Amino acid sequence: MKNSLGKLILVLLCSLWLHAEDFKYHFTLSNTSPYVKEAVIMTLDLNQSNRNKVLFFHFALKKNPDYEFHRITAKETGENIAARVHYEYLIYPLRSGEIQLHFDLIQKATTEANLVYSFSGDRDNVKGLTTVDTQIDLPPLTLKIKSLPKGTSLVGDFSLTHSLKTNKAKAYEPLPFQVTIKGSGYPPLLENLLPENINFTLFKENPIVNAVNSSQGTSSTVVYPMALSHSQSFELEPIVIKAFDPKTQKSYTLKVPKQHFNIRKVDVKSLVDKIDSPKPLESDLPWLSTILISLLSYLVVFAAGFLTAISLKWKKKRTAQTSHPLKKKIEACKDEKALLQLLMATDAKQFALSIEKLEKGLYGNAKINFNKVKQEVLEMLK
Amino acid sequence: MNKKITQLKQELSKAVIGQETMIEGLLVGLLCDGHILVEGVPGLAKTTTINAFSKALGLDFKRIQFTPDLLPSDIIGAQIYNPQDHSFSIKKGPLFTHLLLADEINRAPAKVQSALLEVMQERQVTIADETFKLESPFLVMATQNPIEQEGVYALPEAQLDRFMMKIVVQHNSEEEELEIMRKGASKSFAEVQKVLSIEELHTLQKGLEKIHIDKELEQYIVHLISATRDPAKFKLSSIAESIMFGASPRASIDLYKAAKAKAFLRGNDFVTPADIGYVVHDVLRHRIVLSYEARAKGVSTDEIISTIVETLPIP
Repeated sequence: MKNSLGKLILVLLCSLWLHAEDFKYHFTLSNTSPYVKEAVIMTLDLNQSNRNKVLFFHFALKKNPDYEFHRITAKETGENIAARVHYEYLIYPLRSGEIQLHFDLIQKATTEANLVYSFSGDRDNVKGLTTVDTQIDLPPLTLKIKSLPKGTSLVGDFSLTHSLKTNKAKAYEPLPFQVTIKGSGYPPLLENLLPENINFTLFKENPIVNAVNSSQGTSSTVVYPMALSHSQSFELEPIVIKAFDPKTQKSYTLKVPKQHFNIRKVDVKSLVDKIDSPKPLESDLPWLSTILISLLSYLVVFAAGFLTAISLKWKKKRTAQTSHPLKKKIEACKDEKALLQLLMATDAKQFALSIEKLEKGLYGNAKINFNKVKQEVLEMLK
Repeated sequence: MNKKITQLKQELSKAVIGQETMIEGLLVGLLCDGHILVEGVPGLAKTTTINAFSKALGLDFKRIQFTPDLLPSDIIGAQIYNPQDHSFSIKKGPLFTHLLLADEINRAPAKVQSALLEVMQERQVTIADETFKLESPFLVMATQNPIEQEGVYALPEAQLDRFMMKIVVQHNSEEEELEIMRKGASKSFAEVQKVLSIEELHTLQKGLEKIHIDKELEQYIVHLISATRDPAKFKLSSIAESIMFGASPRASIDLYKAAKAKAFLRGNDFVTPADIGYVVHDVLRHRIVLSYEARAKGVSTDEIISTIVETLPIP
């Protein structure tokens, strides 16, 4: 679609500024007689005329099954006493004939003093803004909606692509198949993409929709992921979607050509389950086998638990005996001074007795057996 | 004089079972006029210990429970207006005591913690425009609970530096716990008697001056402190990345004094490297600021101190 909606000349419905008590307003519509599901851009400008008040506006379109709408922008400019608000809406009519757009507009009036007071609050001391709210009755806008050519499924300028990795598979093996519809216009969401009366199993997911609304309409990409499966070769009939482009006012069709799938039959003997609905296994003495299985299970579980407990205990004991981080360091000490230094660094209070002995040897005149002291320290670690 | 210390320990053991580390720490604090920060879970006889100290020494004792809504005036006192004679009078706070238990000090906001700074360092309190000197001895024993993190205010480094030692109190052994249980259930803890006067305590404090410390050991202390600031200089590059800030000069003074006190308590008249080893962890553990990397790796200041002690050769 090379021509965008924005390039169209806006059709001015209300070129005059209408007056309410405290403000003027002005509606524009890009098209007053669109087709069903053709994008219509509606704008509303609100300009404050009474400068004795501080005005805020709350505007919204009323929900109606006759149309679908999306707000594009809501820009607030101007000052407190000269509010200017510009709203822009994208509207899609959903039925033909005459439909009316209804609005909700609330005027919120306050004073500058109230505004200053509310601003003086903070996160822990919120001061609400007091306003006098007035519901404004805006006259509805009327659209005369033209009906679409018979059989039309999509409205807009779209292209269709499909992807199929392979058309060969084993019996019941799923064949991934994907259809993508991309373009501008009413989002191309179809309930039934494939032709009716299919003779294969269809696995389908929800379509993946990526749509962006703007003042040029809606640009969308809709992906329909699915998988097809059958026990024998089959054909997918051509997919034909009838579309209508309101800009050119011409109908066109989107097509996926007929697809043939070759399915290779699987040898039943190679399958794990060779018998359909086999009978359950039966024993001559079912109660005996139950007791034996229970007993055996109990013994196996008991033995596993018992062995685990023993191995953990043994491992813990072995770890405690061999891998104390200090042990190696103590064994590596070559003289009294080195051992004293090490004990001071680790936990002087725990080794107070040994430290005292080493001190006497080093700084007193006592004779000590270094190896004996070392052994005492190692004993303390056990 | 050591007889007096033995008597004091015996008297304390009537009320406190086990917890030798805390008692030794408090004794060192008393002898050196230093304050003690105690870290431990509730119920480890912190209040009982300091209460027993006050009774055994005949000293005043007050306890302040620190809470988030505590104000500086709640602890130091305030000027109160008397409407009858239109005058102001000073109402002294609970700081005016000999032994002060600041329970759960990290629950109070920074402004209250800061109110303690002047008292701990200068041993004086300023209320309005009047400054009061506190009686000697004045010892603050502050406690903090290491478990809870919600609603606590970490002590600033300046405050931590004022504490001579930080003692980590552990649970009692099973034998000690059994004795506590029996005595606690039968309420058979004996009354602590006064065994030491303030004058005698002052004499003990003066006795510390006579404890000899060798020049090499003085140098060793300086090396230990310097190694926390510049580990690479002492071939300790492995811990250099773990330290953001090393210990302050106050740490050198406190380690020097604490080592002397420890030698004194052990009945020696000279300091040995072991005396320094006994107190080095308690004096330095709260003064080393760990880097973010070290905290992320779960490295503790105790591990760093151990590495330093293990590496620097003792004289």
